[in-house]
Amino acid sequence: MAKPGDALLFSVVRRDHRPWLLLLNAAIATTGGLLLPAALADAVDMALGGTFVLVTVLWLLLLAGTEIVGDAIGIVLAATITSRATAWLRRRLARHLLAVGHPSPFAAGDAVSRMTGDCGNAGGIAVTLITLLVTAVSSVGAVVALALLDWRLAAVFAVSVPLAMLLVRTHMQLTADDVLTYQEVSGEVSARLLDSVSGLRTIAAAGIADRETNRVLQPLPRLAAAGAGMWRTQAKMMWRAGLLLPAVEVAVLTAAGFGVLEGRLSPGDVLAALGYAALGMGVVGQIPQLTALERTRASATRIAEVLDTPPPARPAVVPGSGIELRNVSVDGALHDVSITIPEGAFAAIVGSSGAGKSTLAAVLGGLSAVDSGTVVRDGEVGYAFERPALLGATIGRSIGYGTDADEAQVRDAAVAAQVHDVLIRLPQGYETPLADAPLSGGEAQRIGLARAIVRDPAVLVLDDATASLDTVTEAKVDAALTTALPGRTRVVVTHRPATAARADLVVWLEDGRVRGTGTHQELWDDEDYRAVFTGGE
Amino acid sequence: MRFYFSTLAGHRRGVLILLGWSALEGVPAFFGGKLVGTAVDRGFAAGDPLAGVLWLLAFAALAVAGALGQRQVFARLGDVVEPMRDALVTRVVKGVLNDPAHRRTPDASAVAMITRHVEVVRDATAGVLVQARALLVTTVAALVGLATTAAALIWLVVLPIVAALLLFALMLPSLAKRQRDAVMADEHTAEASGAVLTGLRDVAACTASDEAYDDIATQITRQARATITVAWANSLRATVIALGGFAPIVLLVAFAPPLVASGRLTTGAVLAAVVYLTNSVNPALHGLARTTSTVVMRLMVALKRLQEAAPQTGKDDGEEIPSNGEFVLRDVTFGWSADAEPVLRDVSLSLKPGDHLAVVGPSGIGKSTMASLLTGLMPPDNGSVLFGGAPVDRVVPEVRHHAIALIPQETYLFTGTVRENLALLAPWATDEDLLDAVDKVGAKQLLDRLGGLDASLGHAGEGLSAGEAQLLALARVYVTSASVVILDEATSHLDPAAEARVERAFAGRDGILVVIAHRLSSALRANRVLVMDGGRPLLGTHEHLLKTSPLYGQLMLAWDPTRHEETPLPNR
Repeated sequence: MAKPGDALLFSVVRRDHRPWLLLLNAAIATTGGLLLPAALADAVDMALGGTFVLVTVLWLLLLAGTEIVGDAIGIVLAATITSRATAWLRRRLARHLLAVGHPSPFAAGDAVSRMTGDCGNAGGIAVTLITLLVTAVSSVGAVVALALLDWRLAAVFAVSVPLAMLLVRTHMQLTADDVLTYQEVSGEVSARLLDSVSGLRTIAAAGIADRETNRVLQPLPRLAAAGAGMWRTQAKMMWRAGLLLPAVEVAVLTAAGFGVLEGRLSPGDVLAALGYAALGMGVVGQIPQLTALERTRASATRIAEVLDTPPPARPAVVPGSGIELRNVSVDGALHDVSITIPEGAFAAIVGSSGAGKSTLAAVLGGLSAVDSGTVVRDGEVGYAFERPALLGATIGRSIGYGTDADEAQVRDAAVAAQVHDVLIRLPQGYETPLADAPLSGGEAQRIGLARAIVRDPAVLVLDDATASLDTVTEAKVDAALTTALPGRTRVVVTHRPATAARADLVVWLEDGRVRGTGTHQELWDDEDYRAVFTGGE
Repeated sequence: MRFYFSTLAGHRRGVLILLGWSALEGVPAFFGGKLVGTAVDRGFAAGDPLAGVLWLLAFAALAVAGALGQRQVFARLGDVVEPMRDALVTRVVKGVLNDPAHRRTPDASAVAMITRHVEVVRDATAGVLVQARALLVTTVAALVGLATTAAALIWLVVLPIVAALLLFALMLPSLAKRQRDAVMADEHTAEASGAVLTGLRDVAACTASDEAYDDIATQITRQARATITVAWANSLRATVIALGGFAPIVLLVAFAPPLVASGRLTTGAVLAAVVYLTNSVNPALHGLARTTSTVVMRLMVALKRLQEAAPQTGKDDGEEIPSNGEFVLRDVTFGWSADAEPVLRDVSLSLKPGDHLAVVGPSGIGKSTMASLLTGLMPPDNGSVLFGGAPVDRVVPEVRHHAIALIPQETYLFTGTVRENLALLAPWATDEDLLDAVDKVGAKQLLDRLGGLDASLGHAGEGLSAGEAQLLALARVYVTSASVVILDEATSHLDPAAEARVERAFAGRDGILVVIAHRLSSALRANRVLVMDGGRPLLGTHEHLLKTSPLYGQLMLAWDPTRHEETPLPNR
């Protein structure tokens, strides 16, 4: 049955000419491999005959050489094909996810697993297909070769393989219980470790690391028991698999033995029969590859799912002064919102949780698309968030992210955001890798602010971007913003009455609608408005 | 690495049993060639089919014995691998929880990585035990078998194999390096895409999708290149091994004719020799090459990463005994590195039992560092932090932990009952003690809602708000007999009234209370205030600071800009 990812897999195979090279190489190596047992048989017969025949030995060398060189080339070719295909898929996926943008219909963790896991699986499609094909051809070839030696050998092989497989039939009950228990207990240990890691400072200060280690490790005996169960199951499977090849070999050897007895076969041919029997069994070992193929298709489907998601249409912004929203609706978040924020004004957006404040902030600067209505705006919008995701290699770069700001500009922005003093105290100052920087929530917020400031935007939108700052720092940031970006339109989502009080205009949201606009003092008389600040916190 | 081997050595008995069963597994390899050769030689070729079939049946019986051995090997694997995994997990958890560098706290993804690497070590150890052992047993058995059947040709067989193995060993270091690079490239790709995909909103806000794409694409390309580099090394390795495995066969048939002609080598011996080489030695050699280059490398990389995640630190415990319960700080200076601007500069103060100190200042200025220095979690760069006359980080750990309690902003709650959580630092506490502490910090309502001391908590205080979690952490310390309590923004998620209640409760205990303040109201309740604002810190009472420090006055004004005209300062 065709899956949505199959077309994608097809294009993966087709975009590169290397799979054909791999196929050609495999064809040559397989031919060599198929001729090899016969050549070996001839060589052994020659040796048993007591005379050295150069041609026979050279033929053996040539075939062996072909196989060895073919294998060597095959390894590099296969890796090249797979890794190039994987990289191609990953780049396409990254490009597309970035084009779909925010808000993404795919959760971040899920998207990462599609990027790392699924692209890796799907990238292996060409190699998986060729491996399957080559093994099948080589198995069929081996049976044909057996038949050419003596049709009885092929018959015995053809009968004994299904019989042997029936005999050793593995009820693949991979004791799902043990596997499940193992994963569960392993997850439990991780969760306990994560608990303790979050409380590392408490543990260190109280000197209870050893006791807490024992607490984390409490479920360990259950883990070991489940693990031992898994090994026992595997032992049973290995036992059965271990019988399969010898059973077939003995059957074929016996048939070959009678061939020698009756003079149809030489002693060397016995070896050839043994070799072909092993080669013919190769296809049995490839059964897991079929599962791999299914996995590949499933992965491709997951990638295609992303690539088939169209980027949302973002209507062009109508240029105008200040910011104006006309009858803007966003499904499930905003209903028919119309507001006007004059150029240079300081506006606060307030409302209890879930009122649509963040969506409104996102719509103002075109961060997310609107379902209906018009956004009128002039110039670039800079955003700062309550929990900014800092990106880029170093702290300094995370401020200049997406711009070509130089060192001095980055530094000025950090000074304005009241975070410069923190950054120069880091181990390598502004050059500290982001991953190595110990940042508190408030510090990250101020770096996020600096990132907005460095862009020198016409409009600044702060989505609860100072929530983790203490009142002193917040006031300083506020003053510094006015100095650093004088006369800019500023929109602030806030929970603090002090901030709302400083605003020229307060937009009060409730359930996705504008409940009221005016100054903080005007709105303060309304009991419901006061409840936004007292009840919400 | 040393740890890994010593753990394995600790299970020597299990490993020996494993090797014992391996010997059984090697039986077919030892006799296989000889039996096939004899079946042809004395049976089929000698016109005695019954003898031939019987010899082959003996071969089949040996194959069953070998499979049985293999089965036992796998069944016993659990006895070696699982205890090894236990030991590894124990060591890693211990290492993580004892890590003195509190700055780089592992997060959820780091914990997930640790779990993954432990699993790799488990699987890879099993793989190596199975493969390397099989190789050893099979090769030795086959070579011995070969020596007994075709002794005249043994050097022709052994030399190429030894040469190939030597060459292979020489190639290992570069192979290992490439493999490690590939693993690192893999992790970097995951990190880069993870960062961007988690931060799509911010990428859009920065209109930085080109830079974000470039960051990811760079890592993707690098990884593809690393994978291909590994493939080249693997290809070379496979060639060496294949040559080493095939050369003996060619040499054998090339040198056998005169020996056969002179009657020194029988048909059976030649057949046996070839069967040994093709059916036993060659597969084993290929198995070795495969195992070493993939499994062993993965094992080494995982062990190395685990080592980094959980560094083993030799703890050097202090032996000083404090003479009283007083703190004295003299010219304390601390910075994260020699180049970085110091976080604390020339702080001097003394604290006596009954003192209540509030530390105020903007966030990120180093207030938490102050808490860490007082707790003895780290020593100052310059100056001294003395507790009862002794450097606090050199005080006997038991005494120090007993006397000084720190409640950090991030609370530690674990899965277990509320009682277990509350009695963490005071296992001797009775239920009355616990209930009293709960009542004092104002968490009684919370406890009732949870269902009393026997109620159980989920991971990381699941279902509790941040403020509720802080209340439990506060009650936990209240019940201890610590004479010095440091609240490091430990009330940040409480409302002002609840915060005041907590601070008053702790101030009511005898001893020293240090409050790293989240709100300035904490300063009003303290009898001394330390103001940190980047420069030299200021110390004094609230009233004194108001009169003498314009900075402090400004801080207090900034606290509530809306109401400062009518009520410039909150009442104490």
